[in-house]
Amino acid sequence: MNLRRFSLIAVPYFWLLGLFLIPFLIVFKISLSDIALSIPPYTPTLELSEGWAGFRDFLSQLDFENFEFLATDDLYWKSYLSSVQIAFISTFICLLIGFPIAYGMANAPKEWQPTLMLLVILPFWTSFLIRVYSLIGILSQEGMLNQFLMWLGLIGEPLTILNTNVAVYIGIVYTYCPFMILPIYATLIKLDGSLLEAAEDLGCSRTEAFWRITVPLSKAGIIAGCFLVFIPALGEFVIPSLLGGSDTLMIGKTLFEEFYNNRDWPVASAVAVILLLILIIPIVLYQRNEQKMMEAET
Amino acid sequence: MPETVFEPWNDPAANPLIQFRNVTKRFGDFTAVDNLSIDIFEKEFFALLGPSGCGKTTMMRMLAGFETPTSGTIMLDGQDISPIPPNKRSVNMMFQSYALFPHLTVYDNIAFGLKRDKLPPDQIDARVKEMLRLVQIEKFGQRKPEQISGGQRQRVALARALAKAPKLLLLDEPLSALDKKLRQDTQFELMDIQEKTGTTFVVVTHDQEEAMTVASRVAVMDHGKLKQVDTPDRIYEAPNSTYVADFIGDVNIIEGHGKAQGDTMAISWAEGQPPIIGTPSKPMDDGNVSFAIRPEKVAISAERPADRNNVVQGKVLDIAYLGNLSTYHVQLPSGIVIKAQTANSRRRASRPFTWEDEVWLSWTDTAGIVLER
Repeated sequence: MNLRRFSLIAVPYFWLLGLFLIPFLIVFKISLSDIALSIPPYTPTLELSEGWAGFRDFLSQLDFENFEFLATDDLYWKSYLSSVQIAFISTFICLLIGFPIAYGMANAPKEWQPTLMLLVILPFWTSFLIRVYSLIGILSQEGMLNQFLMWLGLIGEPLTILNTNVAVYIGIVYTYCPFMILPIYATLIKLDGSLLEAAEDLGCSRTEAFWRITVPLSKAGIIAGCFLVFIPALGEFVIPSLLGGSDTLMIGKTLFEEFYNNRDWPVASAVAVILLLILIIPIVLYQRNEQKMMEAET
Repeated sequence: MPETVFEPWNDPAANPLIQFRNVTKRFGDFTAVDNLSIDIFEKEFFALLGPSGCGKTTMMRMLAGFETPTSGTIMLDGQDISPIPPNKRSVNMMFQSYALFPHLTVYDNIAFGLKRDKLPPDQIDARVKEMLRLVQIEKFGQRKPEQISGGQRQRVALARALAKAPKLLLLDEPLSALDKKLRQDTQFELMDIQEKTGTTFVVVTHDQEEAMTVASRVAVMDHGKLKQVDTPDRIYEAPNSTYVADFIGDVNIIEGHGKAQGDTMAISWAEGQPPIIGTPSKPMDDGNVSFAIRPEKVAISAERPADRNNVVQGKVLDIAYLGNLSTYHVQLPSGIVIKAQTANSRRRASRPFTWEDEVWLSWTDTAGIVLER
């Protein structure tokens, strides 16, 4: 009996231990090491053959130098700040676009809803990389968007969109909008229509009923959607490196360059550890929101 | 001042609060309400009764403003309300699902409508507390709707709908979510509250018992039309059609050919049997009629009663023991089954009849009603 319970609980714990905690500890260990021209490109490495003394020797060589370095070079904190800013603004734009779409879906005729749902998920059937590449084709100087705007006569000469932050925003919003739409749709579809009628009956206009009833009751979906967009957008690497310009600073890109171009694994690991710490704050907040939702439902 | 009976519908000088004038409502091909006219008076407790799909809910939703009539007018206090949106009407509704706002406390639910009227906070507070007292849920003001029981939720919904002191309160199946015992208690409370507040109540229900208990007048509806609008006792004792007789309570219906005999009518209903004597619901010509009689008005005995015109013999087919009452299903030689009800006024009395017993059924000339077929 107890064994059964133990094994049930043990599975997720081993999962977390094996796939999250141990990799994190390895990264954290590397972040405390020094760069070296060797394979792997850092020292010290743990020599288990030397036993306890070797382990103590190994520990004594670890330090927080890399973290101090991150604080001194303004590239890093600027990258973090710019990432937070881009992720935040993208999340907000996703909300502005996603909420009306989710609202429209939830209020569409019943027989339409599976189709609309399919249309939202459909882009995921194509590789993410291919979709970002095709955005290059759309946003470039000779791209479809510029041609279309010139054909309309709105602009005289092509706009420079590609390789700017605007392209990064377009890319992130395009990619992550479904993650905003789906949780909001899930809460809106559960909303009892008679609540809105009751609000109207008690003296609300339709607009007022929307703000006083619909929005508060879809709060859980909005919060879930915001986190689902914000968290991956913060560490996004592919979109800024393919669509962004040289001046687009995002921590994912900085990390990649540190890792592959400079082959500085310890600094790259330190960047990753700090990124994780930044992410932990919204993740904890998200967890708390989920828990509240669960409690509200039971 | 002499006490008068509350019967504004019989007073030609009384001004109705609500007037439906030839109101029709269609949804596509479906006619939910069919050219319907009705007057409802101030302080009435009016029940719209009918099976689902009879148009009663549509009528209520038109009063609330969620639907507009396809044709005809609805007047509230002498004013055509069709162009007035629901949030501007002095009409409030208690929803079948209660529709309490789950993110607000009981207190804030009740205060919701008052806040929309931009009343000063102390006035809102006083009114909410008054409402909480009225429905006896003072203790639960700070709870969320999911933290209280179904019966308490029903009270919150009622308090919220009454808080704005509407001219008209609409109640959509107000007690259908409660269990039977609670429902019966709440019916009386609802009547009390209606009396205390003096608000006009229009209740929609499919439960005939509920309608009969609470209402001053009952409108029986079927297929978008009014079948009969009358006081509960008249609806029960003097239905104007077999539909109404059958819908309200239990009834035996015997079909036959009627022949007028002064105030009464003689109905030939089976070969070789003496005619049944009944009272017509209204003056009517000879012809095919239905004779309707309530089971409790049919007496059952072992010996043939001597003093009655209407006597038939039959065999006990089934006995339904309901505690307070017993219903005997008696089959007549012609095959018709007549229900007769007796009150079990004595405890532990041995059951006088059992299955297959030959019994006599009898009733007086005025016990049954003759209806047109």
